Amino acid sequence: MDDKMSERYDLAIVGSGPAGVTAAINAKIRNKKIIIFGYENLSNKLYLAPKINNYVGFYGISGKDLTEKFKEHLAEMDIQVTYERVDSIYAMGEYYALMVNDKTYEASSLILATGVSFGKPFKGESEFLGRGVGYCATCDAPLYKNKTVTIIGYNKESMEEANYVSELASKVYFIPMFKGDYDLNENIEIVNDRPVEIIGDNHVNKVILKNVELETDGVFILRDNISPDQLVPGLLVEDGHIKVNRDMETNLPGCYAAGDATGRPYQYLKSMGEGQVAALNSVSYLDRLSRQK
Amino acid sequence: MIKEVMDNTFNEEISSSDAPVVVDFWAPWCGPCKMLGPVIEELSNEYEGKVKFLKVNVDNNPVVSQMYRVSSIPTVMVFKNGSTADTMVGFRPKNSLKELIDKHI
Ligand SMILES: Cc1cc2nc3c(=O)[nH]c(=O)nc-3n(C[C@H](O)[C@H](O)[C@H](O)COP(=O)(O)OP(=O)(O)OC[C@H]3O[C@@H](n4cnc5c(N)ncnc54)[C@H](O)[C@@H]3O)c2cc1C
Repeated sequence: MDDKMSERYDLAIVGSGPAGVTAAINAKIRNKKIIIFGYENLSNKLYLAPKINNYVGFYGISGKDLTEKFKEHLAEMDIQVTYERVDSIYAMGEYYALMVNDKTYEASSLILATGVSFGKPFKGESEFLGRGVGYCATCDAPLYKNKTVTIIGYNKESMEEANYVSELASKVYFIPMFKGDYDLNENIEIVNDRPVEIIGDNHVNKVILKNVELETDGVFILRDNISPDQLVPGLLVEDGHIKVNRDMETNLPGCYAAGDATGRPYQYLKSMGEGQVAALNSVSYLDRLSRQK
Repeated sequence: MIKEVMDNTFNEEISSSDAPVVVDFWAPWCGPCKMLGPVIEELSNEYEGKVKFLKVNVDNNPVVSQMYRVSSIPTVMVFKNGSTADTMVGFRPKNSLKELIDKHI
């Protein structure tokens, strides 16, 4: 086993954008054992900004240059970003379990700095969640043995899931939401149309597309972005944003959120300010926790 | 304590109980189910005597799983007087499960 897994971190930060990086720096200053998950570019929203005029002290800087400055700052403080995507996070009571592929990390406190993902749910999607609508085809496939399954796929990985499901289900429809070559088993029917609505009675029975209707027992929607309440089951989300108070606390004890993920305005300095507040409150939470022991 | 039930013992276990019955539908291949297991275990100890806890392995018990249309696991159902009173799909933190159960005591 990887040693990283056996130790419990004080704080796990999910997201390496301006909010996450600021949180990491402030928690590190307070001597907490942290882990921060994200990407090599830190944040594409930062990296790709042509010119930034509202970042105080850096008039006219490009996103690329600012990303470099962030990276230097992280390196200076000996913070390494863990380049992994967190798939799901479970509130276990005393700690959070973060799942990354088949690995598990543990942390006493959590800061969600995942940014915003665009894309609204389909009509009927939330209504039928758990009653025919799901987000993990491979997880629930055995429940659809000899049934009809429709997969709405946004990426290449969704094709692997479709192939797996097709070994168990009697019929699989695949609705691609991306362009490219499709690498699908022969018994999968590709439907090139735009999904509009999911309908049913007590349970899903149809997907309505622009031009056709598909009778189906289940629908799996496989997107790139995980919405915050899917990422952390039980997390309170309002209008697509994580609900926080002035201390950046969510409804789950020890779990904080910062940046675009908590709501408008979507700006660097707002995100960073929130990241800092979240980190400092997480530190107080951790200190309270250790005093109780 | 959580009792494991099967297709052929399910009805008896549900209908013979005066207390609310919490049923955890799970399977060994389901990651979130593994995380939920210990949480339910803790709850079953806390509610000892007040609520009955059962679990159903959906792999081995297709009849019950189909009958209650379990389409995603974990699914936690609360039964009262022999019929379903509440359903919760997916992993949930302990407090949310407590709220769910408390509604029915
Ligand atoms: C082109 C462009 C120009 C902009 N210009 C300006 C400007 O001039 N001034 C200004 O103030 N704002 C500007 N913005 C807005 C600004 O980019 C955002 O407000 C800011 O980046 C938000 O920071 P954040 O840390 O909350 O989220 P993000 O920057 O979105 O960072 C979140 C990071 O977390 C990662 N992540 C998400 N989920 C996971 C997971 N499960 N596991 C691991 N990592 C994950 C994401 O991939 C991403 O790297 C601009 C945005 C764009 C797109």
